[in-house]
Amino acid sequence: MPAIPTSQASDHHDVTVIGAGLSGLAAALRLAMFGKKVILLEKHYVVGGLNSFYAKKGIKFDVGLHALTNYPSQQSGKSSPLLKLCRQLRISLDSLNLLPQSHSRITFGTESLLFDNNFDFFISQVEDKFPKERDRFQSLLAKMETFPAYSVDAEDLSTRNILKESIGDPLLSEMLLCPTCYYGSARKNDIDFPTFVMLFDAIFRQGLARPELGIRAILDPLIGKLEELGVQRRMNCGVERIRTKGDKVSEIVLESGETLTSDQVISTCGAVETEALLAPSESSTPSTTEGKFSIMESIFVFQGNPKDFGWEETVVFFNDSEIFRYGEPEGLIDLRSGVICMPENYGNQLHNSDNKSKLRITHPANYDRWSELEQPTYESEKNLWEERILENGMRYLKNGKEVIDSFRAKTTFRDTFTPRTIKKYTGHANGTLYGSPQKRRDGTTAFENLFLAGTDQGYVGIVGAMLGGIAVANNQILRSI
Amino acid sequence: MNKEKVRQIVLDIIAEIAPDEDLSDVKPNVRLRDQLDLDSMDFLDIVMELRKQHGIDVPEAEYRELESLDSSANYLLPKFESGAAA
Repeated sequence: MPAIPTSQASDHHDVTVIGAGLSGLAAALRLAMFGKKVILLEKHYVVGGLNSFYAKKGIKFDVGLHALTNYPSQQSGKSSPLLKLCRQLRISLDSLNLLPQSHSRITFGTESLLFDNNFDFFISQVEDKFPKERDRFQSLLAKMETFPAYSVDAEDLSTRNILKESIGDPLLSEMLLCPTCYYGSARKNDIDFPTFVMLFDAIFRQGLARPELGIRAILDPLIGKLEELGVQRRMNCGVERIRTKGDKVSEIVLESGETLTSDQVISTCGAVETEALLAPSESSTPSTTEGKFSIMESIFVFQGNPKDFGWEETVVFFNDSEIFRYGEPEGLIDLRSGVICMPENYGNQLHNSDNKSKLRITHPANYDRWSELEQPTYESEKNLWEERILENGMRYLKNGKEVIDSFRAKTTFRDTFTPRTIKKYTGHANGTLYGSPQKRRDGTTAFENLFLAGTDQGYVGIVGAMLGGIAVANNQILRSI
Repeated sequence: MNKEKVRQIVLDIIAEIAPDEDLSDVKPNVRLRDQLDLDSMDFLDIVMELRKQHGIDVPEAEYRELESLDSSANYLLPKFESGAAA
């Protein structure tokens, strides 16, 4: 047995992981599986980060789980990264009890495209609605298949430019951009092409599903395994500062004042946020561009099922005109476009044992505008917009205008979160969902023992975040043992 | 230790990391990648399990020695033997 160097006291760890969101949990698990002594630090009192859970009035809510993408569908799902992920974390896919979506819809003005977990159906929808685009759409698909989207040095091209060159009808381009932007773009009015390809595969080629028990079906086994492997997990444990010496991190100072040391550090709190921990002095300007995309979401809990109102879709991406604008709005919120999710429409049978369902409606929102409001105004604006979101959302649901009153009558609880809520619980600057528009795919930083994992690597969504954490653990730490 | 045992050790590791693969008919002289759905992440896991379970180090430059069960047996047998002798 090798002697333990004297500098490595018992509280010294091989690796410190900052953040117990999905990327941090996955990275910590990979490292611990192979004998690394890991400490996992989380500022909040629950795990999951943006994909966490909470309860209000006895009702359980998932924070971010509209959909688990990358459903390994029969037809084109065999190469789904979700399968890789399960293998790497030694979780069986069956244990997630995935309920596939019914079908979903992209609606722009009067035009709609449907999709389900059978990619050919989506292709036929595009060909029916845009017959002139048939060949061009096929060439775009071929181009996407040969593009090395998953490679760490994939070129950050503009998807808008590529679509302009490849597709004739601008409406089809806009309709393709809408779901992919909402599920993972940190750029304004665009999405980088590698992320577009990954998300297109994740949403359309593979598909949407939801674990029967929601995000906890993923979080609970991860936590269980970390505990079995003796990973120290500290909750309510914010990091105050990452101290460096030369080109290495020397110690981590916690908000409590305690200091920790480790050979390596993986930070999952974001690129801009990590920079702030490295150089908290006011004088330094961050070198990473701040992301701005944030959302407001209203959740309506109602008696019965979406199907009682004739609502069959799982997710509806909507836009009021033929032009899709994506990004932070000028005002508090942008009602022109958004996403509706009806989680009870996952799975063939009804899964709501208490006969209650949820309608979730999400819109782009402006962090600065929400954060400058005084508390009473903040609350009243939230209530005001909650009602407007519902009225507006009904335009995109079958007979929405006619049934809105009976829907209201059946609504037993409403909850709304704003960019301010996201900032509060995730610590993301500007309450962003997808971090900075600048991505560092390999996770390296200017410091040789500090790595970034998670959204700012450019891997988005639940599956992406976990794969990002795994990739950093594998390539930056385990491979070089 | 013999080559047959080493092949079995490698197969057991694959069964652990890829429980969804059918390993009943793996041909020892054919590349594992050509008969199973294994990628570079899975090969990293084979290497990591060899270290964890048997204390055997495979440097990254030599990962390709593990491309088939036979090549793995040829490459790993001396490592197992020197480990046992030590």
